[in-house]
Amino acid sequence: MRLPFCDGLTRRDSLRLGTAAVFGLPFTTAGLLRAADAKKPKKDVSLIFVFLHGGLSTIDTFDMKPDAAAEFRGEFKPVPTKLPGLQVCEHLPKLAKETDKYSLIRSFRHHNSDHGPADHYMLTGYFPTAGFNPNLSPNNQRPAHGSVVAKKLGPVGSVPPYVCLPKLHPSCGPAYLGANHAPFVIDSDPSSPNFSVPDLAPPPAIAADRLDDRRHLLQQVDRFQKSAESRANKQAGAVETFQGQAFDLMTSRDAKTAFDISAEPDKLRDAYGRHSLGQSCLLARRLVEAGVRCVTIDHSNWDTHDGNFATLKNSLLPMFDSGISTLFRDLSERGLLETTMVVVTGEFGRTPRINKNAGRDHWGPAFTVMLGGGGLKGGVVVGASDARAERPATDPYGPEDLAATMFTRMGIDPKDEFHTPDGRPVAIVNNGKTIKELV
Amino acid sequence: MKLLTLPVLFACASAVLAAPTGPHFENDIEPLLSRHGCNSSGCHGKAEGQGGFKLSVFAFDPAADYAALVKEGRGRRLNPAAPDDSLLLRKASGATPHGGGTRIKAGTKDYGRLREWIAAGTPVGDPNAPKLVSLRVEPLEKVLGTKATQQLRVLAKYSDGREADVTDHARFQVNHEGLASVTATGVVTTAETPGEVTVMAAYMGEVGLFRAIIPRPGSAVSADTLPTFNFIDGLVGKKLAKLNVAPSGLCDDSEFLRRVTLDLAGSLPTSDEVRAFLADSATDKRSKKVEELLTRPAFADLMAKRWADILRVDRQALGHERAHAYYRWIQEAFAENKPFDAFARELLIAEGPLKEVPAGNFFKVVTKPGEAASTLSQVFLGVRIACAECHHHPADRWTQTDYTGMVSFFTPLSSKGSGPSEALFASGDPTSKHPRTGESVFAYALGTAMPTANPVGDRRPVLAAWMTDPKNPYFPRNAANRVWAMLLGRGLVEPVDDVRATNPPSNPELLDGLAAFLVEKKYDLRALVKVVCASRTYQTSSAPNATNERDELNFSRALFKRPDAEVLLDMISQVTGVAERYPAMPAGTKAVQLWDSKAKHEFLRLFGRPQRATACECERNTEPSTGQVLNLLNSPELQKKLSHETGTVAKLVAAHPDDAKLAEELYLRLFGRFPTAKERDTAVAYLARKTSERRKAAEDLMWAMLNSLEFQFNH
Repeated sequence: MRLPFCDGLTRRDSLRLGTAAVFGLPFTTAGLLRAADAKKPKKDVSLIFVFLHGGLSTIDTFDMKPDAAAEFRGEFKPVPTKLPGLQVCEHLPKLAKETDKYSLIRSFRHHNSDHGPADHYMLTGYFPTAGFNPNLSPNNQRPAHGSVVAKKLGPVGSVPPYVCLPKLHPSCGPAYLGANHAPFVIDSDPSSPNFSVPDLAPPPAIAADRLDDRRHLLQQVDRFQKSAESRANKQAGAVETFQGQAFDLMTSRDAKTAFDISAEPDKLRDAYGRHSLGQSCLLARRLVEAGVRCVTIDHSNWDTHDGNFATLKNSLLPMFDSGISTLFRDLSERGLLETTMVVVTGEFGRTPRINKNAGRDHWGPAFTVMLGGGGLKGGVVVGASDARAERPATDPYGPEDLAATMFTRMGIDPKDEFHTPDGRPVAIVNNGKTIKELV
Repeated sequence: MKLLTLPVLFACASAVLAAPTGPHFENDIEPLLSRHGCNSSGCHGKAEGQGGFKLSVFAFDPAADYAALVKEGRGRRLNPAAPDDSLLLRKASGATPHGGGTRIKAGTKDYGRLREWIAAGTPVGDPNAPKLVSLRVEPLEKVLGTKATQQLRVLAKYSDGREADVTDHARFQVNHEGLASVTATGVVTTAETPGEVTVMAAYMGEVGLFRAIIPRPGSAVSADTLPTFNFIDGLVGKKLAKLNVAPSGLCDDSEFLRRVTLDLAGSLPTSDEVRAFLADSATDKRSKKVEELLTRPAFADLMAKRWADILRVDRQALGHERAHAYYRWIQEAFAENKPFDAFARELLIAEGPLKEVPAGNFFKVVTKPGEAASTLSQVFLGVRIACAECHHHPADRWTQTDYTGMVSFFTPLSSKGSGPSEALFASGDPTSKHPRTGESVFAYALGTAMPTANPVGDRRPVLAAWMTDPKNPYFPRNAANRVWAMLLGRGLVEPVDDVRATNPPSNPELLDGLAAFLVEKKYDLRALVKVVCASRTYQTSSAPNATNERDELNFSRALFKRPDAEVLLDMISQVTGVAERYPAMPAGTKAVQLWDSKAKHEFLRLFGRPQRATACECERNTEPSTGQVLNLLNSPELQKKLSHETGTVAKLVAAHPDDAKLAEELYLRLFGRFPTAKERDTAVAYLARKTSERRKAAEDLMWAMLNSLEFQFNH
């Protein structure tokens, strides 16, 4: 039983905070208020959420178990990192040099090991209820994190607040927050040679003044815009909303610049890696610089049921190492890391026990989430898993806690409620607690 | 999806069914485990159990649960010599630390009940004890105000005819959380939104329903003053009266013509058609138009596209020639108006050389017996049984045995030969093993009894006969519902392929009426289309009134329908006068006629064409996106069509020197109506402003119209 202290902290919390926190600070009301203020971001914090679709094998990367039996530990060797005592996989040499910039939650877990529901859980903070159909797109029963951010914080300038790339994950939709808070989807791979956002600009034949004429004409011609009909028919209302957003985007110089990845120096593009993940990370940084509040990168395929080690070693980890390490370094060098939170996770981890196809299967009960920036502490290892990385060995954290931590850092109260169109109040986060080790 | 999660319900319970002959595990003990959430899908009911103790989810497998309690766990779970020391009671009462907390406090009635059973030596109970047969909820239906409460009673009927109140041990769930809530003890409270809500009560694998009608508050709308065209309108009107909602008025002729032409031919009426229809003074011109549209090949193409989606015409799986033959079989069925029961039967019993029996290609796309059973159930019955592959359907009555019974129809099916000589044939017995017990399950249809002896031979004809029997509870309703959804934009059961107790039809009487009509007309789908299109309900305006703007379920106004990707592309090609070219298809092919859904096309992908990976209508993505909007605003392809030398704009500009005439022609073609005076003035002013570049100005006008909601929706 967890008995709270009179200040609302539990004994375990105080142990987490450490003796300095308990004895070093006077527990006055003013002190508590200051502590609360310190948690609030001074500047706007943006979020880059890198979703490793299929599920990253964290026992092979960030939570290695070299002392476990052969059928668990796998073939990769741990190597030391910048941080004394912390080891990561030998195939992540670049990330090993940036460990001061990010932290690892090793006691992360949830109860599901199915792609569809687990995806929804990690991307929205809510486990889906009856009637969830993973084959639908979108399939959001609850708004995705980015839609919550868009709703609560709104856009900065003329760029959309929430962008998904290089495709839309089915659980990245706005659910009942509506079309206004749907992501802007860049349905195109930023690593392709002639990357551009599809149809963002009118054809060359249409000069700017003609576009203005057309837009004005459209408003006059469409009798259903702002009509009772478009209010009463959700899809028509959505098209109307999207049209307004599309025009804003088309006429925005900032947006045009932000999407122009070719403006980046070749050397930096090479450092991120000339692949979908690397260039998506680079584009995400550009977007955040331009004012986008949340970028969700949907990268696949991490579902390594067969030949886990060969796939990781030869393909996935080199991409991951260059893309994510350069993102942290680049953000840091530009002074953006303090205001840009980066969260990297799959929908779950992978089974510690290696299967007969030298693969690992789905594993929700224990995995590692990587995160840093946005004022979160770097270089912290939160919690631990057991000897085989099968279960958390310390107090576990879950998707609700991750969401609460992210939103709190962004200045959004996780306890705030949204109302569904039929009036039902739903909390932004389903009872999560902030991960205290990181704030 | 493997597992549906239902809310975990628990609270103090008071009474259990009084057993006539001592405690009975299935009748007396299992309900307690369900009631206190022990076997819920978040706890011991989940696939891997919890803490080494696994129960079947919601007690659907009493034999396994008995074994788990009595035989597993080294016998520590139950201790008849000292019942209170049983791990079951210690954990449940919190005497021993329990991850799930205290569930059943010592001293409560339910605790006593469990204790008594353990002390009695944990009997299974009399094998001949009465079995639970059905469940009903009192009241069945009630009109409730907003913020009103209603206590439900759940009554279980047993095989000896006895009824017992099992309210305290039932699980409750509402199908629309915004309209009402229900407590663990069965108290329903309505919210402030009018509408209709269904509460499911589940007890030991049976379900019962309560339906609450929450009328719109405020003064009563006058009894339906609009004309009634046929039986449909009476049944819709009855429901609207209950909800205190007035329907919108009748749509005008141009609205009707555009709506019905899009619905039945997948195209827009031409300007000549609009003029002729508006000028026609015949009173039966609407029904005549429907007749005419149904005979167009475009109707068969449109229907074939829908059915090719869900029957999964798949070039990658079948190869070009076979896939085309399979598609042709579907297309021809609709072209010749083959009775729908005959269509289903041909597919269900397909056998022999695939060259001669193209319907058999279905079984070459959907090759596994389990997949065939669940696909055909979903497509022809609207019932999703796939959940029951792994466990009892959590929101319906289907058991794993029911699922396996359906699978058994298809286990004998295999093919021999290859290439052009490949043939389907059935051999061996129509049985398969129960996934858990390993017992043989003979082929039997959903809701019927399993044959007691192994029925030898191919039993698919028996399945086909059951399905297409006029009394079949699913097949005619499903066919009628699909037609209704196509025409009205929403099924009476929605989604159309998810019929279950917890997803009841919004107007059961109407669904019954439509199904009965279809049976009476010997499954003539065109007859059904005609009667629906002839109803005032179909011909209702889409303009909302003060009472029905929030009604999306009861057809009080015409819903905006978003044309499928293929139809929208055809509409664009039609009005711009520039056809789309598709690889490997003859010139003039319409998008609706593309039988190969895998043929690459960026517009079709962007606007949600399905890949035909499932039999679910939901695979077609109908959600709008910014990307789609940007495409219509900016795509170079569309601009090319607008400015094409032989396109509509070029031709009309040349043919109509008068700006007003030019504008009128564009309105007729894109919106299917004449412009209002104001609209005409706006258009003329725009065209006049740019006399030197009149063609570009006309392009701009068409561009604006193409991007309007009026063009992009069927309303």
